[in-house]
Amino acid sequence: MWYQIFKFEIQYRIKRPDTYVFFLFLFLFSIVGVDFIFQGSEMGLMKKNSPIVIAKTMGAITGIFMILASMIMGVSVLRDFQYNIESLLFSSPIHKKDYLLGRFLGSFTVLLFAFTGILFGMILGEFMPWNNPDELLAFNALVYIKMFLFITLPTLFFGAALFFVTGALTRNLMVVYTQGIFLFVVFMLTKAINNEFWQAILDPFSLTTTTFVTKSWSALEKSTEDLPYFGALLYNKLFWFSLGIVALIYGYKKFNFNVVKEKRSKRKQTVAFKKTTTNDTIVIPDSKKHYGLGSKWTQLKQFTRFYFTTIFKQASFWCIVICGMIIILINSVNLGTVYGVDSYPATYFIVEELKETSMYFFLILLVFYSGELVWKERGAKLDLIYDATPMSSFMKLLGKYIGLNLIYVVLMLALICSGIIFQTVSGYYDFEFQIYFFGFFLEILPFLALYTCIAFFIQSVVNHKFVGIMMVIIFFIANIALGLFGFDHDLYFFGGSALGAYSDMNGYGHFLKPYLLIKSYWFLFGILLLIIGSLVNVRGTETNLVKRLKGSKYRLSKPLFKLASVVCVLFIAIGSYILYNTNVLNTYWTDSQVTEFRVAYEKELKQFEYIPQPKIVDVNLQLELYPATRDYTIEGYYLLKNNTTEVIKSIHIQKLLEENITLNRVSFEVGFTVDNQYEKFDYAIFNLNTALKPGDTIKMHFKQSFRTKGFESGNSNVNINNNGTFFNNTDLPTIGYNRKYELNDEDERKAYILPKRPNKANRNDVNELKNARSGSDSDGINFEMIIGTSKDQTALVPGNLLRKWTENNRNYFHYKMERPMINFYSIVSAEYEIKKDKWMTKDFIPQPVDLEIYYHKKHDYNIDRMMTSMKASLDYYGKNFSPYQYEQLRIMEFPRYAQFAQSFPGTIPFSESIGFVLDIDDEKDVDMVFYITAHEIAHQWFGMQVEAANIKGHLMILETLSQYAAMMVLKQQYAEEKLLHFLEHQKEVYKKGKDREAINEPSLSMVENQDYIYYAKGAINMYEFQKAIGEENVNKAIRSFLEDWNTTNGKLKMTTDRYATSQDLLGYFREVTPEHLQYLVTDLFEKVIPVGL
Amino acid sequence: MELLIDNLSKTYSNGVKALQNISLDIPTGMFGLLGPNGAGKSTLMRTIATLQEADTGNVTLGEINVLKQKNELRQVLGYLPQQFGLYPKISAEVLLNHFAVLKGITNKGERKDLVQALLHKTNLYDVRKQNLKGYSGGMKQRFGIAQALLNNPKLLIVDEPTAGLDPVERNRFYNVLSELGEHTVVILSTHIVDDVKELCTNMAIINQGQVCLKGNPLQILENLKDKVYKKTIEKTELPLYKQNYQVISEKLFLGKPTIHVLSDTNPGDGFSLIDAELEDVYFSEIFNDTNFKSN
Repeated sequence: MWYQIFKFEIQYRIKRPDTYVFFLFLFLFSIVGVDFIFQGSEMGLMKKNSPIVIAKTMGAITGIFMILASMIMGVSVLRDFQYNIESLLFSSPIHKKDYLLGRFLGSFTVLLFAFTGILFGMILGEFMPWNNPDELLAFNALVYIKMFLFITLPTLFFGAALFFVTGALTRNLMVVYTQGIFLFVVFMLTKAINNEFWQAILDPFSLTTTTFVTKSWSALEKSTEDLPYFGALLYNKLFWFSLGIVALIYGYKKFNFNVVKEKRSKRKQTVAFKKTTTNDTIVIPDSKKHYGLGSKWTQLKQFTRFYFTTIFKQASFWCIVICGMIIILINSVNLGTVYGVDSYPATYFIVEELKETSMYFFLILLVFYSGELVWKERGAKLDLIYDATPMSSFMKLLGKYIGLNLIYVVLMLALICSGIIFQTVSGYYDFEFQIYFFGFFLEILPFLALYTCIAFFIQSVVNHKFVGIMMVIIFFIANIALGLFGFDHDLYFFGGSALGAYSDMNGYGHFLKPYLLIKSYWFLFGILLLIIGSLVNVRGTETNLVKRLKGSKYRLSKPLFKLASVVCVLFIAIGSYILYNTNVLNTYWTDSQVTEFRVAYEKELKQFEYIPQPKIVDVNLQLELYPATRDYTIEGYYLLKNNTTEVIKSIHIQKLLEENITLNRVSFEVGFTVDNQYEKFDYAIFNLNTALKPGDTIKMHFKQSFRTKGFESGNSNVNINNNGTFFNNTDLPTIGYNRKYELNDEDERKAYILPKRPNKANRNDVNELKNARSGSDSDGINFEMIIGTSKDQTALVPGNLLRKWTENNRNYFHYKMERPMINFYSIVSAEYEIKKDKWMTKDFIPQPVDLEIYYHKKHDYNIDRMMTSMKASLDYYGKNFSPYQYEQLRIMEFPRYAQFAQSFPGTIPFSESIGFVLDIDDEKDVDMVFYITAHEIAHQWFGMQVEAANIKGHLMILETLSQYAAMMVLKQQYAEEKLLHFLEHQKEVYKKGKDREAINEPSLSMVENQDYIYYAKGAINMYEFQKAIGEENVNKAIRSFLEDWNTTNGKLKMTTDRYATSQDLLGYFREVTPEHLQYLVTDLFEKVIPVGL
Repeated sequence: MELLIDNLSKTYSNGVKALQNISLDIPTGMFGLLGPNGAGKSTLMRTIATLQEADTGNVTLGEINVLKQKNELRQVLGYLPQQFGLYPKISAEVLLNHFAVLKGITNKGERKDLVQALLHKTNLYDVRKQNLKGYSGGMKQRFGIAQALLNNPKLLIVDEPTAGLDPVERNRFYNVLSELGEHTVVILSTHIVDDVKELCTNMAIINQGQVCLKGNPLQILENLKDKVYKKTIEKTELPLYKQNYQVISEKLFLGKPTIHVLSDTNPGDGFSLIDAELEDVYFSEIFNDTNFKSN
């Protein structure tokens, strides 16, 4: 008997279009599955079709689209109730067992069929032309099949059982839909488990499981080895499989063949014959009917309230709300974490966390409830009554639309509540409601509102609920894909770009206005879609799309036509204004245009890379900064000196390739002519009338301006801000060819037939040995600058502050560095609070060093820690390495658009996100504010005093030594345990970096740009090294190294024109290492030995 | 006010000719639309109710071109579809109020009075706060008529309203309807002859998409005067009688077939003359059309 039911189920589904839509969808998606799932994360050495990649991709796709499983399984029993044939079925002599078993197996078979789309899609994906053969192993279909059976099948079975049972028991479609959320919540909850093993067992999609079972694997193993099926992976699968069985048994026990749910009996039964009197006497009052705008408004309110209430009253909606609140409370545990230390639960962190985790919930609401609402009347078979009333279809659709948006608002308010609860529990009471408000109602709500327009439009046109849902999802993915391929102009990338990050210092800054404009543009488009949707949606019994289209002209009422025209005109007007801003005032570049430009730059200009050019030796500038309009003008001169042995006839000047910047004027003291043949690269060649002889100098005057014109598409410049400007001298004219404009990506270079290039030059590269930075145009400068900014801001550049005055309602500052410094200076201006102190030492410097911290007024949490670190670092480095060279040391906070701190001569710009708001618990955390400050101060030695040649190992000298120095200060200030705690974290960073590594790991002394090596492994190995040979010995080596290689007066440096290399440094290390430990220098720094874990 | 249907035709995409050149003049009052299942009644009703497009033809209600000025028609239309559901978790009062707003009764006070009156009228007042889920078939149907009357319609279309109702409910329903006929064009479609007999001043019979007969029931009956004869026979004789006479209906009476035949003269042979019933008219028309092919 069950077989009959099974057969019937299959035959029924075979005729349904949804079955094939699901299959096709999964199939198409899976073709790009690997790229999609691993998009944005480096795959390292893992091949794209290695077992672990396939396993993870299958697990993730299965997880993401579990919702399809709910759509297939959930309706299996529910359908009988929907079509009111339950009484026929259940009164026939079928056994419950046969009925349930047949239905379950039937729909599960169909589910399996749909999900084989993943299998076939991924297999086909391997043969797609865009795959790089180097990234693939030989094709092996067996691997795919094995993973499908082992990863996807058990998960599917569990999902199928769960969805089937809930569908059968609740008989409510929305409950079925929202179950996907439960699985998601379970998945998120497992991430909060600390025990890796249990996390691996409990992950329903076995993503963490595959990571867990392969965590000790080498890169090679990960790229080729089959997964170990025994152990955690098997337990995981058994666990979820048996849960599925449990669900089925429970469902079987609970399922009742009663047609009516038993709860009904509680309600008082209707008495049909309560009164049999005729009511002839009742006169029906003749109410006035209104059809004007006023009545439309009342109707809109009525619709809105009605549809809002229907969702608001649903239990499934409240499940989503509660899940959302819970998951956020659990997930907010890791907030703005830097090196394992959490930040204060500042509102913007909470809002970001809330946004990130709740997106899935909102999307579920959007995708399913929009379908539900459009189908509401038809679902209840009330459509004909509705359709015959004189209501406007548009008002009805709009009412549904607004109602759904209000539902989002309810969820948002709930999330805000949970955020506030979290803050209160954490003892943080500065709630900043406006940030909550902006974060949700300015960022998420418009996004949802726009996509809801799409969803309503699609559902109105398609006239098939499930197909509509799928098309909405496809639209989402297609739009994301469009953006990924670089087609992201705000005028055609649906919804436009996201709002830039919120910063305490700069608020939403200059992002807000274009954001709102672009959102209004799209919103008008959305209204047009709704209008069209309301014109073609099904009203009455005609479902044929063509006929509906034809009939729509009779449905366009005059007021609606007026509205559509106004919206259309506004849409075009705002669109044109945006186009004027993005493409006329500014130039819009697609990604491929940028790539081609870079290729041309390299092909045409590479010839000039190492031609003899003079070096900048003096910089004297006057900068006028206008933060309110985001403009500046800078003028003055560079003094250039010919340090080469050749006569220089022409000077090559590169302007920064940024549209807002104009190089208004460049002139030289002697006569010159300009060769503008490379103008398109903003590269000009100045032929001097009188050649520059070796040793001669020449003044180059210039004026450059930065003008903000309207706004750009996508993200605009975040260096010049209303509050918190931070840029450096690489924005100013530079001399000669700029390597930074070359294409980086190896595959792209290959595609454009550009030669392979290493990230860093080899040790024997004669040219780069003489460069301290890539394309360096200076070996050290004298620096002087006057900077003017708005009255409320303080502007800072390196150097002593000679004078400060106010003129024309603007603040002016005159800085001069009294000693030579590297040609690398920051320009910073913002509203600041200032903390001042002095550092004195008897032994080294005659006068005290001014210590200053410039910070945003609310960010005073860790100022004392920074100050302590400044003193401790100056003490330690001064005593153990060499004297501090400047008369001041400043830390300046800048907005969180970038998340780093960076050292310039005597000045350290420090991002607001990484130190100022960390919530350090001295009991359990490492004082990372202290550490980062110490690290950056160490750069005043490693980077400012000694510079390293721009070759492999460059960053070992600059960064690894700074890590070492900072660790020693940390150890001195706190305790060895804290340092070990810090090193634990470095080990993790190293491990993660190594997993992402695409080429083989280099040794420390040959490191290129791998931060996990020069930071993390560097710290670990330096710690081991000093442990073995003694801190004092290491310091001694560094002392000698500095003495010999100091840029301005190093004993060896003065005899050569090259800079120090890691090889040089290791020489000093060897000198202080006893004979029996010499091997350590080799092992730690020259060999590639993975850090012991 | 008069509803004029002129040469209305509709062919479905699967080739079924649902309406073929239907022309009807429907004056104020109750109009019965009689026809077997699948005759095209619902298609016609839906077309008049602006819910379906016609291929050709015209429908006007007074000044309103029904097929083009849909919204104008909807303002004066009350429609009770053949089958409809109700939101289960809402009370009658709330849903009726909701429909009242949709129909343009936007004054709150007026709307409240109207809803109360209609609930009383349809005898739903005592259960107005109950969720619609618990409503019986009759109550549901009465709710249906209540919503149709909200806008005091000039044209009321009720599509097979009495199907599935018990006799008491049916009577109750008729009472409500019959009052309306005085000022309103009421079209009642049904396949139950008694409905028309009891209520309608005018009627039409349609079958296979065509109008077979239209007029006043009394006049129509007049046409059959002295032409319908009845006889109770044995089951086995039925084919024989069908061959020899124009049998328009056969019914079981106390377990034996009773046949009605149409004949201008007295056929004798045990037949007795009876007063023609509307049912005989109906069956004779259907018989003419289909020749009992399906029997």
